Amino acid sequence: MPEVRLHPNTDALLDYSAGSLSPAQAVAISAHLFYCPGCQAKTRTLNAIGGNLLANTEAVSVAVDCLSDVMAQLDTVDTALPEKREINNAAPQGDRWKNLPPLVKGLVRDSGISWRHLSSSLRVARLPVGERRFELALHQIKAGGSAPAHDHRGLEITVVLHGSFSDDEGVYHQGDYITREPGHIHTPVATANTECVCLSVLEAPIRLVGRFSRLFNPFLSFMPV
Amino acid sequence: MIAASNKMSFDANKVVMLAEARSDNWSQLLMKVGADRDKAAFAVLFDHFAPLLKGFLMKGSALGPERAEELAQETMIKVWRKADSFNASKASASTWIYTIARNCRIDWLRREAKSSRDIEAEDIYDFGDENPSFNSLVQMRNRDKIRENLAFLPPEQLEVLAKIYFEGKTHSEVSLELGLPLGTVKSRIRLALNRLQVRMTAAEARQDA
Ligand SMILES: [Zn+2]
Repeated sequence: MPEVRLHPNTDALLDYSAGSLSPAQAVAISAHLFYCPGCQAKTRTLNAIGGNLLANTEAVSVAVDCLSDVMAQLDTVDTALPEKREINNAAPQGDRWKNLPPLVKGLVRDSGISWRHLSSSLRVARLPVGERRFELALHQIKAGGSAPAHDHRGLEITVVLHGSFSDDEGVYHQGDYITREPGHIHTPVATANTECVCLSVLEAPIRLVGRFSRLFNPFLSFMPV
Repeated sequence: MIAASNKMSFDANKVVMLAEARSDNWSQLLMKVGADRDKAAFAVLFDHFAPLLKGFLMKGSALGPERAEELAQETMIKVWRKADSFNASKASASTWIYTIARNCRIDWLRREAKSSRDIEAEDIYDFGDENPSFNSLVQMRNRDKIRENLAFLPPEQLEVLAKIYFEGKTHSEVSLELGLPLGTVKSRIRLALNRLQVRMTAAEARQDA
């Protein structure tokens, strides 16, 4: 596997470690970490800062029965909590799902994937994470196909999961974490011999009312409320 | 030959690792809880960490003492349940417990917001951290450096870090709350992280130069 070249900035990893990212953003960072040992090490260090802050924090005494309360729950907890949610959908099959972060595989399995065509070479499947501000989705561009040129009303984060694509600024490979600021216009093109699958986080645009409102961002599969 | 020298360096790593792990009593106790389901060891951990967690979660205004105590309890129950997955060579007890508390806080905030779908923080924040190449010895040294360097951070840098970690505030929220320009908040974070040995990306280093 070629080395990942594009990484989230340190501020984003810090927010991830501190737990202040929205779920969709956190999923994108997690997906990148799966491919990137360097950012994993950095995240461990950032977590260790949190751990040290916890260790040095001023203790506040807990109620007298706090411990007995918890002790009483220990045995029931072990049996009462199911290990994992039951999953009915089969794991997705095929090349494009092979080296995917387990988190993304889990999301795909849990929600089932339903592709929607945005153009002849681009399709999108939404991954619901209970989020209002950002939409999390998979985008798939056919080998050699291109996505329509689009501009961004909001922030766009892309993590390449399979294959590669390019735009006027470069070529992006598996694991690369690409941030596009609002106002940026680009035309992604998949590499000729393989299709490209990306995880993307799109900031919801201001809601526009009217039947053509969707045209403002062809990448969004829904208009957030 | 190569195999032999690899083995030696591995063993040397392991000796130092074990020595370091021993010096961290909390990690030892936590291993015991995981391996033996030792309730007495858990009670000792609880007495130490529950008040720290309560204090940690109460910092800032978001959580009152009652709610903070409930979340501390919830965290400690998860500690019991997951103790067998704790690995002292990857993180110290306080770091591991910190990540569990953070996840509990995230899930609580989402329950409060009545978010439509329950994807648990635990699932999002587990990034398949099983990289065989990472060097736990380096990790251990970093851990000690963090502890030492944190003690010497200037108060204004510590204040910003505390807001971010204790309260889960974003940079812009911190800037609003402290009445500081966003740039100042960012540069304080940058200075603090530099001292704490967090390596910046090449692009960020270029920006700073
Ligand atoms: Zn990275």
